[in-house]
Amino acid sequence: MSASRRVQQWLTFTRQWWLFDAKWQDPFESAKVINKHLKGAHKPIFGGHADCGDHVVVINSQDIAMRGDEWYYRVYFHHTGYPGGATWTKAWELHKKDPTMIIWKACYRDLEKDLTRRGRMQRLHIFKDSNIPKDIIQNITDQIPQLRTVPKRLKDYSQEEIEKFPKLFDYPKEHVLD
Amino acid sequence: MVNLTRVMLWRRPSVRPRTVDPFWKKRQIFKLSSHFYGRARNCWSIAIRRVQRALMYVAAGRKIRKQHMQDVWDQRIRSGCQELGYLPEGEKTMLEGLARSNVLLNRQTLGNLAVLEPRTFEALNKIARVRANEEKIARYLGPFPKGILGKL
Repeated sequence: MSASRRVQQWLTFTRQWWLFDAKWQDPFESAKVINKHLKGAHKPIFGGHADCGDHVVVINSQDIAMRGDEWYYRVYFHHTGYPGGATWTKAWELHKKDPTMIIWKACYRDLEKDLTRRGRMQRLHIFKDSNIPKDIIQNITDQIPQLRTVPKRLKDYSQEEIEKFPKLFDYPKEHVLD
Repeated sequence: MVNLTRVMLWRRPSVRPRTVDPFWKKRQIFKLSSHFYGRARNCWSIAIRRVQRALMYVAAGRKIRKQHMQDVWDQRIRSGCQELGYLPEGEKTMLEGLARSNVLLNRQTLGNLAVLEPRTFEALNKIARVRANEEKIARYLGPFPKGILGKL
C-alpha cells in the first residue's frame, strides 16, 4: 500500500470531532442529529460492520429551548429501588440542577438500546457554556450546523440599523404610546 | 467422468425398510446443534427443540437480511448525497433523478460506488441534481453544481 493510500485509510477511519452549539435548539431534535454523528451514519462507509462513530462536543447546553410550556409538563422519572423511592422531576428542575442532563438523556434515549449505546455516549461531551477544556477544543475539526438560526434580539441591533429599517408610517408627534 | 445413469435407473427393491436407524436420523440434528451451549448440544430432547427453533430463525433471517441490506445501501447513498450537499433529501431524489436520466443503476451499485468510488458517485449525483432541476422531483435542493451548463 502506497503512502497516499495509507493516509487515505487513516483519514477514512479516524474519529473526527464535531462541535454543536445547542443555543436555542430543541434538545430532542438536536439529539437525532448528534446521534447520527455519534453512530457515524453521516458517512458512506456506515454499515454496521465497522465502528465509525465520531465525537461530538455540545456547547451552551444551558441555553436549550423547549416548545410552549414543555419545561413544566415534561417529567423525568427516577426510582431508587427502595419502596417509595420514586421521584418525578420536572424538566425545569432537572435543568436547574444540571444543565447538561436534558440533552444527555435525549441522546441516550434516542440511541439504539444495545451494547453500542454506552460506548457511543462516551463520545458525547456536553458543556453548559462555551468554556471547553483545551484538550478537547484542540481536537475539534468541524461544526454541525444548527437546526434553527438563533434570532437576533432588538437590543442586539445598533441604533443605526433600527432607524434604517423600512417602515410604513411615522406616528404623529401627539400620539401617545403606552 | 462418472456415468450414473445405469445406477439411477437400477430398479430399487419395492419393499423399503420400515425404519431408518435412529442413530443416523439423530446425527443429522446433532450436527446442526454441535455449536450450542450446554445440554442442548448432546441431549436429544433438548437439541431437537433448539434446532427447530434455530431453523425458524434462519428462515426468518433470510427475509430480514434482504431488507437490512437495502437499508444499508439506502443509508450509504443518503449520507453520500448529504456529504456532497447537492441533494439534501438523499437517496430518494437521487434514484428518481437517475432513473429519469436513463441511468439504470440499482441501490446496491450506488451504495458501493458511494463507498469505493466517491468521484463516480459525485458525477452521478450531479446528473441527478441537474435532472431534479429540470423536473420537480424534490422539495429541497442544494446548490447547483459548478462547471455544468445546466442541461443534460
